[in-house]
Amino acid sequence: MTVRILALVGDAFGARGGIARYNRDLFTALASADAKILVLPRLGDASGVALPAGVRQRPAIFGKLHFSLASLWTVWRFRPVDVVFCGHVFMAPLAVLLARLLGARYWLQAHGTDIWNDRRDVVRRAIEAADQVTTVSRGTRRRLLGWVDLAPERVRVLPNTVDERFAPGPASPALRERLKLGRGPILLTVGRLAASERYKGHELVFAALPALRARFPGLVHVVAGEGDDRARLEARAAELAGDTAVHFLGYVPDEELPDLYRLADLFVMPSAEEGFGIVYLEAAACGLRVIGGAGGGGGDAVPDARVGELVDPADLAGLVEAVMRLLGQDRVDPAAIEPYRRSHFAAAAGLLLARLMAQPRRMRGAA
Amino acid sequence: MCGIAGIHAYLDVAPPVDRAELARINDRMAARGPDGNGLWLAADGRTGFAHQRLAIIDLSDAGAQPMHSACGRYTITFNGEIYNYRELREQLAARGYAFRSGSDTEVLLQLYADCGADMVKKLRGMFAFGLWDAEKRMLLLARDALGVKPLYWADDGWTVRFASQAKALLAGGRIGRDPDSAGIVGFHLFGSVPEPFTVWREIHTLPAGTTLTIDASGPQAPKRYYDVAEALAARANGAGHGDADARGRLSDAVRDSVRHHLVADVPVAVFLSAGLDSGALLGTMAALGAQSVSAVTLAFAEFKGLAVDEAPLAAEVAERYGARHIVRTVDRAEFEADLPAILDAMDLPTIDGINTWFVAKAAHEAGIKVALSGLGADECFGGYPSFADVPRSVHWLRPLSFVPGLGPLVRRGLSAAIDAGLGLHPKAAGLLQYGGDWAGAYLLRRSVYMPWELDELIDPALVADGLRRLAPLSHIAAALHGARPLGDFDRVAALETALYMRNQLLRDADWAGMSHGVEIRVPYVDPFFLAALPSGEVLARVNAKDAVADVPVPPLPAAVRERRKTGFVTPAGRWLREAAGTPALGAVDFSAASRTWALRVWQNGWTTSVVA
Repeated sequence: MTVRILALVGDAFGARGGIARYNRDLFTALASADAKILVLPRLGDASGVALPAGVRQRPAIFGKLHFSLASLWTVWRFRPVDVVFCGHVFMAPLAVLLARLLGARYWLQAHGTDIWNDRRDVVRRAIEAADQVTTVSRGTRRRLLGWVDLAPERVRVLPNTVDERFAPGPASPALRERLKLGRGPILLTVGRLAASERYKGHELVFAALPALRARFPGLVHVVAGEGDDRARLEARAAELAGDTAVHFLGYVPDEELPDLYRLADLFVMPSAEEGFGIVYLEAAACGLRVIGGAGGGGGDAVPDARVGELVDPADLAGLVEAVMRLLGQDRVDPAAIEPYRRSHFAAAAGLLLARLMAQPRRMRGAA
Repeated sequence: MCGIAGIHAYLDVAPPVDRAELARINDRMAARGPDGNGLWLAADGRTGFAHQRLAIIDLSDAGAQPMHSACGRYTITFNGEIYNYRELREQLAARGYAFRSGSDTEVLLQLYADCGADMVKKLRGMFAFGLWDAEKRMLLLARDALGVKPLYWADDGWTVRFASQAKALLAGGRIGRDPDSAGIVGFHLFGSVPEPFTVWREIHTLPAGTTLTIDASGPQAPKRYYDVAEALAARANGAGHGDADARGRLSDAVRDSVRHHLVADVPVAVFLSAGLDSGALLGTMAALGAQSVSAVTLAFAEFKGLAVDEAPLAAEVAERYGARHIVRTVDRAEFEADLPAILDAMDLPTIDGINTWFVAKAAHEAGIKVALSGLGADECFGGYPSFADVPRSVHWLRPLSFVPGLGPLVRRGLSAAIDAGLGLHPKAAGLLQYGGDWAGAYLLRRSVYMPWELDELIDPALVADGLRRLAPLSHIAAALHGARPLGDFDRVAALETALYMRNQLLRDADWAGMSHGVEIRVPYVDPFFLAALPSGEVLARVNAKDAVADVPVPPLPAAVRERRKTGFVTPAGRWLREAAGTPALGAVDFSAASRTWALRVWQNGWTTSVVA
């Protein structure tokens, strides 16, 4: 039986960023499980993008009121709808309304940062009305259940998947030459350098460098990413670790990232608040050992010692010890990353849809 | 009996089961398994079960757990006893199932193979188990109809864990201690934590009479297979009976239940007070042919020579039925010496369980592994004052509850007056506000503190959150939701059975008994027994709570019948009050003592790292 899904999202096809990618992965997986999906985005332009069979995306509408009115009209013509999928807590009240009008099941996706800032009762109730909530990480699930009253079995975890491009391979001597990184070892951090995301822990790594370079004189820290905090971070790096220890690469395009991961010896990002930490996963998928930060959902991309370790984002000595320990270890066993690959993601997404469809339509007549 | 635990990594990304974690969980329950323990990990490392064994049926190694089916497809870890396992075994054998052991555990495996999760409806007994179906890749958790055996579970979104004790899950080290406001508020209201909550947000009680299946997408919604209110309604719907016939049915039901509860490969003893309910158990055991049954009675040094001492009357009953009578005297010094161990064994905060702790301790000292207890008789025979008080309150006060705002207004006024020294119990202020409906009247009757008092005791933000999450009145009313309306007696019976008995008495009997490796069996807590009794209306009419004295042949001595009128007291109220730091002078009312004691128990650091 074909399941008809209406998806309200911030962005999906034709947009950048982690949440857009997650939505694309999810819709692709659900469409392959024989679902018909109509995507209503607030951002992104899918014209010219090849959509998976079964998926249609309407032009983006940013304005809140306009979006709401237009979705009502579009949705009415898309009937019957089995599932209303809501990709952002921001739109949850609208999703509740539509699900009730359409007598559809209501599936809410919570990513992390989206649910911590707005704790009004109306938002809580819009979340509690969901027939199924999915989160990307166990940490997000735990925090959500600490706030809203939902039966625990209604809140499921569907972790990020990692693209096949991220796979182990030989380090590129040309890239090493081009970046002039010396003989290493190379510590790598990939992430936006935004003043609003200082939790990522760059400065803790800078502070650890003197001790690490005393042991490994050739050790360098490569920082990939761009953002409004870069100048300040460059100054901090010089101050804490000297002029030659940290290399800022700026923005690195997606297609160049696998080679960068293959070149490095250790991925280090002691972040305090990662919703999931997709970069941990991409690094590990390329065989790179990972040091992440305990806190937030970061633990989900670093599930155990086969991939790496989590350190306290405030513990400098702990970070130094962890780097020393992990630099001596082999590359990550691909088997540890296999469960994050697309086939597993698609199977899990299909099970969640089936699970939701097995529930009675509790919304019908409730409006 | 025993203790069970398990870990199942259901999501592909979850790391395999950590054997050391499973061992830590199992070790925390060592007191439950003096006769051995076992640990099993599936070949793929995704599922692991652990078990602590107290051997009662089939004492050989063939009864060891976790146990696998001959085909290798099913594995079980099981806590409890199945009293009708021989009947079930015969039925299965007749249909071609072969058995390798004499244990009730193997019957569970074969019964699941035969009829899947619906098997629980056929089980007469007390149980909690985890059963792994390797072919369907499905884990089934189940708990007995009335909640005699506990089962706690936790799901982090990748991996599900379960155990007989909540503290054991904490001891595993992978589960957080974030407080659950609903459970904490529930404890302060009721004196015990109402299921499905615990005081930890990540740990849930699997409700009595439900099953939970976990597949590759995680736990499904718990499925209820037994509901007390529905069972009582079905019973009331049965044919009516004359009073003489009703007494006969009552006797038959007690005899049948006791007979089932005697199934064991070790001697079965009885906890004997000076009351009718335990005396009737002993008398029935004797009538069924049990020889020189051990009967354990608790006596208190403070009561020696006083009318409240139960030992002399219990001795008379024991003598009448040829029992080996063991009187164990407890004094305050022993209570104080045991208090740290009691608080450590207490799995969830509770204001009770002290008496059970000592009687189980005495049984253990006497080499007893299994004992029957009269627990549950008051719930089914109407032995509590609530059977009169609650309906009276509802019938008298309901008209007034329709006056808007009157209840809260009177409550505020009265509260102020009580604070100022009006000699009433603080709860009395809520009579008008709460007394006019079933849930409110029951809360008033059973509560330790009332909702309006909580802000003084614990963080007001936590109180507000907990009251919203728990919704105490709806929580109580849910025990009565049954399809058909119940009579007064059955309403109170349903409330007492589904709330007080389940969350307080049975949970306390489990941790207090298991701390000493003693299995407590409760013949009055049995869905088959409940169904075999006459309807509540008839039980009330024939005064079942006294009629039980005539079940044994010969009947209980007249002195025991008389005693019910004087009531039972223990010095525990005084000890509790003094242990809580408030000196007690003269007689201590248990209700007042429990208020102080509840606070003392809560101060034991439940949601900090001290506890586990």
